[in-house]
Amino acid sequence: MMKKIFLVGLLVLISAVYCYAVPEPQAQVETMVNSVLSVMQNPELSVEEKKEQISGRVQQFLDIASMSQRTLGTYWDGATPEQRRYFSELFVKVLEGTYLNRIDDYSDGAVKYQKQRVKDDKAIIDTVIVAKELEIPVQYKMIFVDGRWQVFDLVIEGVSLIRNYRESYGEIIRREGYEGLFALMEEKVGAAPQEQVVQ
Amino acid sequence: MLKRMLILLLVAAFLCLGMQLFAAQQGPGDPVIVAKRTADLSPDEAFDADFGDDLGAAEVPKKLISDPLEPLNRGVFWVNDKLYFYLFKPIARGYRLVVPRQARVSVGNVFSNIATPIRAGNALLQLKFRDFGTELYRFVINTTFGIGGLFDLAESVAGVKPVIEDFGQTLGYYGSGHGFYLVLPVVGPSSLRDGAGSFVDSFADPFRYADLETLEYFGIKFWDAENRLSLDRDTYEGIVRDSIDPYLFIRAAYAQRRLAQVGQNTYNINLFQNPLFDTDLFDPFDWFGFE
Repeated sequence: MMKKIFLVGLLVLISAVYCYAVPEPQAQVETMVNSVLSVMQNPELSVEEKKEQISGRVQQFLDIASMSQRTLGTYWDGATPEQRRYFSELFVKVLEGTYLNRIDDYSDGAVKYQKQRVKDDKAIIDTVIVAKELEIPVQYKMIFVDGRWQVFDLVIEGVSLIRNYRESYGEIIRREGYEGLFALMEEKVGAAPQEQVVQ
Repeated sequence: MLKRMLILLLVAAFLCLGMQLFAAQQGPGDPVIVAKRTADLSPDEAFDADFGDDLGAAEVPKKLISDPLEPLNRGVFWVNDKLYFYLFKPIARGYRLVVPRQARVSVGNVFSNIATPIRAGNALLQLKFRDFGTELYRFVINTTFGIGGLFDLAESVAGVKPVIEDFGQTLGYYGSGHGFYLVLPVVGPSSLRDGAGSFVDSFADPFRYADLETLEYFGIKFWDAENRLSLDRDTYEGIVRDSIDPYLFIRAAYAQRRLAQVGQNTYNINLFQNPLFDTDLFDPFDWFGFE
């Protein structure tokens, strides 16, 4: 009898392992965060080297196509394939510039995982970044594409990044057209590495 | 007292008028997002509410906040930007050099403790009794054991965090929208609703009743603001550096943040379906963070 129970247990376990062969969304976020933290907390790297390494590591966890599409919203449909491709290219750089510049501020932070919700091919992961006496709630929104979970939006203290970009970019396209937006983005991307804020 | 009531009434009338005007201005093709109370939703609906907003590029784009005064707002934004970089930030930097971090944190704690009536009062106005209890508890613990609010023991020891409530949120809770976006001089991003809200909140501010000269009152407010700025990690600098139009970025972030604050609901009393009191209110274990 015991043997049978053991066998059944083993079977259930094996099938469970099989089901979770694809990493769960939260595990995916943890992998991403840990790989970023490991670079940030490596004392041997200079700030520039850190930025370079992190940029490569993070991109594989992000769904850039979906982020670009959602950022442009209705304007995505109106764009030519060429415009879409160029926008995605610039957008990645804008995102990188923004987040790599803030990296130093949170290198001493720890991440607490609160809750994971999955529904069909969508998932929401609630986390909190704890740095000094600050606690910043960060929510990762993910979708299951190409056989893995990919992040397509960050919600920081209730502010969705993509939503924010969409509001601003939509307004700029409305006023100045795609070309106007691209010009501004090019300027930002080009200027980002040189311009340093005086501390 | 009568005068005060009159002012409050005027504010309320002004607000209603504002909302009406904007309700009239917005056609059906121009919907503004209204905060949803997540506590009222089933987990499944809450998931969709949390997630769904970004799905489907084909849906009608919803506006976060209307901004008919944009040219004026941009002007004030420009002035605030200059004030920030050439006046407030340098002062905060000097202050940061002179006063050690721990002392500045304590100063912030004291200001926050004194502002308890604003948070507690608004929690009460929204019938969030648990949040009211939390604020009351924090006030008692921090004022006594925390030596007049210098130390936030309620959070550091018991893990009880402050509940951020203000009258703008109370109005939002009862369904009022922003009206329109406003950039206030010195103060920064606000809206018709939230600006009027801050005005109403100032009546619950103990400093107002501390028998201070006008200059002293503003001096204290200035200290509070500079102290907060000295603890900030260059948030504004980051936004200015990274976004292609800081004005639009901050407007969207403000609208989203307020929406989240209004929607987030730790406890919502429903007189007809639930018991009158949240039993957790009387559960000290829960208060101290035990499960």
